[in-house]
Amino acid sequence: MTTTKSQPSQARRERFARLGQYALHTVLVIFFLFPLLFLFVSALKGDELQLLKDMGSLNAFVPYGDISLKNFSHVISGSNFKTAFFNSLLTVSLTVILGVLINSMLAYALARFKFKGRDFLLSVIVALIIIPFEAIAVPLLLLVNELPWVNGEIGWLDSYHVQIIPFIAHAFSIYLFYQFFIALPKDLEEAALMDGANRLRIYWSIVMPLSKPVIATVAVLQFLSRWGDLLWPVMAVRGDTFATLPLAMQSFFGQYPRHWGDVMAFAAMATLPTLMIFVIFQRWFVRSAVSSGIKG
Amino acid sequence: MSTAVTHAPAGKPGKRSAPIKGRFTPWFFAAPGLLLLLVFLVLPFVLALVLSFTDQRLVTNEELGTDFVALRNYVRLFEDDSFWAALRNNFYFVAVVTPLQSALALVLALLVNQKLAGARIFRTIYFMPVATTMAVVAVIWSLLYAPDQGVINRFVGLITFGMVGPHDWLREPGLVMPAVMLLSIWQGVGFQMLVFLAGLQSIPLDLYEAAKLDGATVKQQFLYITLPMLKNTTIFVLITTTIYAFQLYTQAQIIASSGASAPIDSFRTMVMLMVHEGFRNGKIGYASGISVVFFVIVLAFSMLQRVLLKEERAVQ
Amino acid sequence: MQANIKQIVKLLALSSALVSGGAFAQASVAVWVHAGPGPEHDAYVASVKAFNDSQKDIKVDLVALPEGSYSDQVNAAALSKKLPCILDFDGPNVYNYAWTKKIIPLDAFPELAAIKADLLPSLVRQGTYNNKLFSLGQFDSGLAVWGNKKLLTQAGVRIPTKVSEAWTLAEFEDAMKKLKAAGVAFPLDMKFNYGVGEWFTYGYSPIVQSFGGDLINRKDFKSAKGVINGPEAIKALTTLQGWVKAGYVNAATKDDSDFVKGKSALSYVGHWTFGDYKKALGDDLVLIPMPKFGAKAVTGAGSWNFGISADCKEPKAAAKVLGFFMSPAEIARVTDINGAVPGTFKSMNANKNFAKGGALEIYAQQAAEKVSLVRPETPAYPMITTAFAEAVNNIVAGGDVKSELDKAAKKIDQNIEDNKGYPVK
Repeated sequence: MTTTKSQPSQARRERFARLGQYALHTVLVIFFLFPLLFLFVSALKGDELQLLKDMGSLNAFVPYGDISLKNFSHVISGSNFKTAFFNSLLTVSLTVILGVLINSMLAYALARFKFKGRDFLLSVIVALIIIPFEAIAVPLLLLVNELPWVNGEIGWLDSYHVQIIPFIAHAFSIYLFYQFFIALPKDLEEAALMDGANRLRIYWSIVMPLSKPVIATVAVLQFLSRWGDLLWPVMAVRGDTFATLPLAMQSFFGQYPRHWGDVMAFAAMATLPTLMIFVIFQRWFVRSAVSSGIKG
Repeated sequence: MSTAVTHAPAGKPGKRSAPIKGRFTPWFFAAPGLLLLLVFLVLPFVLALVLSFTDQRLVTNEELGTDFVALRNYVRLFEDDSFWAALRNNFYFVAVVTPLQSALALVLALLVNQKLAGARIFRTIYFMPVATTMAVVAVIWSLLYAPDQGVINRFVGLITFGMVGPHDWLREPGLVMPAVMLLSIWQGVGFQMLVFLAGLQSIPLDLYEAAKLDGATVKQQFLYITLPMLKNTTIFVLITTTIYAFQLYTQAQIIASSGASAPIDSFRTMVMLMVHEGFRNGKIGYASGISVVFFVIVLAFSMLQRVLLKEERAVQ
Repeated sequence: MQANIKQIVKLLALSSALVSGGAFAQASVAVWVHAGPGPEHDAYVASVKAFNDSQKDIKVDLVALPEGSYSDQVNAAALSKKLPCILDFDGPNVYNYAWTKKIIPLDAFPELAAIKADLLPSLVRQGTYNNKLFSLGQFDSGLAVWGNKKLLTQAGVRIPTKVSEAWTLAEFEDAMKKLKAAGVAFPLDMKFNYGVGEWFTYGYSPIVQSFGGDLINRKDFKSAKGVINGPEAIKALTTLQGWVKAGYVNAATKDDSDFVKGKSALSYVGHWTFGDYKKALGDDLVLIPMPKFGAKAVTGAGSWNFGISADCKEPKAAAKVLGFFMSPAEIARVTDINGAVPGTFKSMNANKNFAKGGALEIYAQQAAEKVSLVRPETPAYPMITTAFAEAVNNIVAGGDVKSELDKAAKKIDQNIEDNKGYPVK
């Protein structure tokens, strides 16, 4: 190349660009981190009055004074945090696992079989994507209240299954799986069929292992939407026994007299586990998003 | 479309029941998902449509029963100031949040896609709010928005040299929606950033190499390579963000139940109104009417977007 | 050796108790109370423990639920027909619960009929629907104005000490003006930090009633039009809005402790703050009777109370439990903590706070002189309170008083129409 002359100036320009980028990043880091920093610092402040006083200054972000885990132990002993955390973990992970299985199976049927009504089904599922859950929540509530359960009881309200089963099938997940499957080369499967493997075996031992990226994408999307859901628990769950974290958070927040230190400790404990999981797995998620076609 | 489908080969001669397998297996795979979709999505949706023409109550009194009321719910809905306010709030939120959040997400994705030391750390930080439960986010921000001495007030005062504020963000009717918007973008933008990042990383690098050889500037590369290549990603982001924005509920509801808040109609959304009327006031029929209208609006909006943006990815 | 024998005897006694307990199936009674963590919750836990320890036939399971979402929870449980045997609910919900048959009448249980005879008249009135008693309250609420004697005296404000000396509207506003001038940031604390909810109706509807208005026409409970948006109600809420505009009241406060910190000299709130206020202010705490905003003073009445649900499989056992909760000792256990007016004469007479010269004597006076008024006795109440509370919230935020109240009237009348006037067989 013939850029020998302009090299120093170009290097300087690049250095400037880099500096500019770092400056921009600094502003953004502050913007994205300060509420979280505020959360964790406040949760550690044992002195409620100091916490309230600090709110108006930079002290809100400085851990000083009575720093302890007092608020945390308060919350653990004085609220249903532990139950709610367990409930969230159980219902969300079961929904995600069953969802991956059942949605991918349906997508596999659509992507690999020719059968009557297939085209119709596919267009119906695409249409279903835009029905927001919120639009069916109220009739769904009446509906699940009339459904029988295995023990012969009528009505699903206030249970684990009412927070799992309605959310397993997910039109958007099916669509993502379908998109991924049709792009998947068929040679391996055809070879296996020749060898006499049945479809279930092919699906389980060939297709699914190749689908890790889309599984990760679907799982993350489902996890996030279920983990944060407040609307459905508010309607379908009463009491502490089956309440998930968002519901417990809302109840705890709505209690008087409100002790902000405890509220913050509750919030911090509700946040930390998912935060850690996603910080660890997000690199993986980017990669899977690239290959699963979520970018369109 | 049919090209995507493998014809189940006959298999080895003599393999038993191959044709039967061909008829039954797709339904074996499809049945559980279809059944669940039917019961928990299609049926409630039809139910919403039917109930919206009745005076169904949440807890019924045997002496009253449920009556067909024709269009009464819809007539009342269109006469209800709260409904129009909710509609206005929804559109306001969508109109501001969708473009702003998508644009910011693109900027963030471009930034973290640079070869810069620490880019991965920055990406992680921008993604952190996404992994924070919305209920928690709303609680933190409602403290940050505290009147007088709140952090946001201090900050706004600082950068405007005390010209603006202090404001009572969650109580002033004109400020509560912007406050909700800011916290929503803060929480959600990291996700769209990742989607854009995925899009960026799937653009073949040789396109840029070729452009550089042709002497294209960074700006030209962005305009003539990056943006066109991101078209489908952008459409995906815009449509999903719009749908999410219409569903606004959790953060606004937490603010509403957090104590003194602005007049409810200045920030109540369609979904909130639906829950309040259907669940709190027990008017299931009326709430179903809201659901139906809500669905029609979301449907119309995403169809419009699809037409306007002329999505190139037809459903295969 | 001695100890060992004792232990063996104990063990034997225990196992025989277990065997005999197994012979008669123990009735299980679930009780829901609204209470966050705190002393009130502890009192209920202690009551239940005392009951469970006192006998072997009935086992009570206590479930404490947070107040914020309590009525949502009751709705959800009613929908799934899983209401607990005994539940507590805020007084005026009794009519709606009775009308939708969530709860059953209590008159048929002999042990409860006896308690009714000793119950405060305001609680009898609160618990009666369609001529039947549906609920029993351990306590009645007390609503008046808490004052900071030091700040009031400094500002030169007269402090009424009995109901007959109550401030008039002019005196009340003059007092706030003086306090503001004396440097009290927001003279009157009205607990707007509680947020839109039952407090708004419980606390602010007596002001409307004192002005001569009300929430609904109480002759037949068929319409709110012309009452909740009548001239008296408009005047009352315009006055309230004026206090906010004048800076007497901080409608935006998120802080529950303005009064304790001296940012306010008057605190308009119910009995439940007594413990905290007494601790913080000591002898400077005075209880001032409800002002006469209009022709007469009016204060709120009624509080949380217990009912037996229609889903209860052991109503007789539930009645026994409820009877136990209403005994003077158990009432005292709760009222000693929350400062409420004990719900039966027996328990009230045993409490020195309500005797002459007691810290809470004003509450007893207000009850005796019929200053207190229960909230509207109609199944439409949930709608009335939602509509009124929303209107008040909008009004203090600067909304137009008349149009907000018109909206509330329309909502209430539509609700009554939707339910065909709430017919009773």
